[in-house]
Amino acid sequence: MPKRARGAFSLLLGVTLVATVASACGTTSENAGGPAEPKPCGGAGGKYTIGVSQANVAEPYRERMDADIRKAAAGVPQFTVNFADAQQDNSKQVEQVENFLTQQIDLLIISPNEATPLTSVVKKAYERGVPVLVLDRKVNGDSFTSFIGADNFDIGRRAGEFVAQTLLPGGGKVAELKGLAGSSPAKERSDGFKLGIGGKNIEIVASADGDWLRDRGRQQADALLKGTPGIQVVYAHNDPMGEGAYLAAQDAGLTGIKIVGIDGLPIEAGGIKAVEAGRLAATFVYPTGGKEAVEAARKILVDCQQVPKVQGLAIERVTPDNAAEVYARLNAGG
Amino acid sequence: MIAWLFRFQSLFGLVLVFLAAVIFSPVRNGELLFLDSANLFNVVRAMSEIGILAVGMTFVILVGGIDLSVGSVLGLASVGAAVLLVRQDFGVLPAVLVVLAAGLVFGLLQGVVTAKLGIQAFIVTLAGMQIARALARIWSGGQGVEIAYGDAPGRAPMAFSLLGERTFGGLVPIPALIFAVVAGLAAILLRVTAFSRHVYAIGGNEKAARLSGVPVNRVKILVFGLCGLLAALAGIVHAGQLNYGGPNDGSMAELDAIAAVVIGGASLSGGRGTVVGTVAGALLVGVLRNILTLNNVDSNIQLLIIGLVIVAAAGLQRLRPAAVG
Repeated sequence: MPKRARGAFSLLLGVTLVATVASACGTTSENAGGPAEPKPCGGAGGKYTIGVSQANVAEPYRERMDADIRKAAAGVPQFTVNFADAQQDNSKQVEQVENFLTQQIDLLIISPNEATPLTSVVKKAYERGVPVLVLDRKVNGDSFTSFIGADNFDIGRRAGEFVAQTLLPGGGKVAELKGLAGSSPAKERSDGFKLGIGGKNIEIVASADGDWLRDRGRQQADALLKGTPGIQVVYAHNDPMGEGAYLAAQDAGLTGIKIVGIDGLPIEAGGIKAVEAGRLAATFVYPTGGKEAVEAARKILVDCQQVPKVQGLAIERVTPDNAAEVYARLNAGG
Repeated sequence: MIAWLFRFQSLFGLVLVFLAAVIFSPVRNGELLFLDSANLFNVVRAMSEIGILAVGMTFVILVGGIDLSVGSVLGLASVGAAVLLVRQDFGVLPAVLVVLAAGLVFGLLQGVVTAKLGIQAFIVTLAGMQIARALARIWSGGQGVEIAYGDAPGRAPMAFSLLGERTFGGLVPIPALIFAVVAGLAAILLRVTAFSRHVYAIGGNEKAARLSGVPVNRVKILVFGLCGLLAALAGIVHAGQLNYGGPNDGSMAELDAIAAVVIGGASLSGGRGTVVGTVAGALLVGVLRNILTLNNVDSNIQLLIIGLVIVAAAGLQRLRPAAVG
C-alpha cells in the first residue's frame, strides 16, 4: 500500500510540474521584454492601487516610512495602498514585487533591501509600464521613474563636519559605531564621515559593528569605551545605536562623552527627542521620503504629469537649539 | 488509508492549500491571478532555494540531527560564487565546483565534530552558522559583490547568467529545475540504497543501529556533508538569481528549511520523514504565502498563520498511530 501510495503521489507531483511548465508556454511573449509602454493616465476619475515594497519594518525608520506613506495616501481618495515587508531578505523582496505585478498594481513604491539584487525586478516592472518610485536606497541603472531620497554619504559628511567644527575644534578621539556590515548605508555613512573630519586632527581610534540595533550598540560601545581610553565623541550610524552608546557611557561613568547619531526620526522614541533630552549631542534628519513619494504618485496617476528623475531630500542638522522646533514641524500637517 | 494520510499529510495539505488558493484567488479581467503562469513560476522559483536547503535538512533530521548553518552557508556560497567569477576570473564550472566543494567540506567538518567528538549537532551547527557568516563577510570584504556579465576581466561569463536566468528558454524557472532534480535524486537515494536504510536506522535507534553493524559515524558525517553541499548549491542558485553575492543573505533561511521539513511530516527526533513530504511542505508554505500576499493579508498576520501551520503539522504527527512507519 505505501509503495503504491508513493507512486500515486510522485505521479501527482509530476502532473503539477508538467502543468506548470505547460501553462508557462503561454507567457513566452511576455518574457520577450520590449520598450516601456506607459499606461494611459487615468486622471482624477480613476481608482489606483499602489504597491509598497518595504525592505523591512523591524527598524523604526522604515516603520515611520510606511506610516508617512499611509498618512499621505489617506489624503488622496483615489489611492489604495498595499504594503509588503521583505524582512531584510533580497529574494523575498523580489518575490513580493512579482506578486504586486501579478496583482496588476498601478504604481510601485520600493525601498530596496540592496541595490543589485532588486535591479532586475524593478526594471521588469518599469518596462511593463508600471511607474516605479525608488525610495531611500537606489537600484542600478536608470530603469525606474524617480528616485526619492537623501544622500547617505552626504549625511555622514555633515556629521563629520559637525564633530570637527563644534564638538572637537581642537582635534580629538572618536569612536565609530557602524551599521550592519555589508550594507551600503553603513559604508556610505562611514566614508562620508571620514571626509567630513578630514585634515582636522581628529582620529577614529576605535570602531565596531552595531548592526543598526540599540542593544548591539550598547554592548559594542561598552567594549570600545573600556578598551580604548580617551574617547571624546561617539559617532553612531543611527540614533538607536547612539542611544545604546549613551547607556554604555553612563554605565562606565563617562559623562563627558558626546554622541552624534543619524536618522532624526520625529517620534517619541526617536533621535530628535533624544537630542532634546540631552542624550545625543546632535542628530541629522534623514527624511523617509514617504510623503514625497505619495505626492509624486499623485502627480503621475491623478494629474498626469511628469516627475523629476531624481528628487534629493534635504538633510537637516538637529541640535538642542532647534530640536523642539524640528520635531513640531515634521509632525505638523499631512 | 489512515496510515497513508499521516505519512503524506503535507501532500494532502498542499493539495488543500492549493485548492483554497484557487478558490480565494483574486480575479482580474476574468482570470484567476493565482493560476497565472507567471505567478505560479514566482511561487516555485521563490521556494526553490528554501526547498534545496530543506532536502539537505531532511537527511540531517532523519538521523536525529539538525543543521542551523545552512542559511549562513547559503550566504557564504553566494559570496564565493560572486567573488570567484568577478574578482578571480574563474570560469563557471571551476567556480561552481570550488563553491560546492567548500560547502561539502564545511558540512563534513561539522559532521566529524558531531559524530566523532559527540557534541550535539545543535551546538556544532550553531557555531558553524556564525563561522560561515563571518567567512562570508571576510571573503566579500564586508560588501555585497555585484555580478556583471561579459567577456571583459572583472565580469562573469555569460554562461552563469544562463544558470541564473529566471526561465530556461522561457519555459521552466531554472531554480525550480535544479530543485526538482535535487529532490528527485534525494528521493531515490532515500528509497533504494543501503545508505537510506542506515539513515532511518540511526534515526530510529542509534544504539541498536550501531550494534547491528551500521557505520553510524560515517553515515552521520556523510549526511552533514550532503547538507552542506546542498546549502552551497542553493547559494549558487541565489547568486545567479540576484546577480549578487550577499554576505548577509540567507539569514533565517535555516528556520524556513526546518519548517518545511517539519510540515513535511518529519520527526525532529529522527527516523521519520520523506523527501516527498519535505518538497510538499516547502511548496505548501510558498503557496500559502503567495495567496495571502495576493489578498493583501498583513505580513505580520502571515507570520502568525504560517506559525500555526507548523504547530498543526507537528500536532498531527503526535496523533499518528505508532505502527505507521
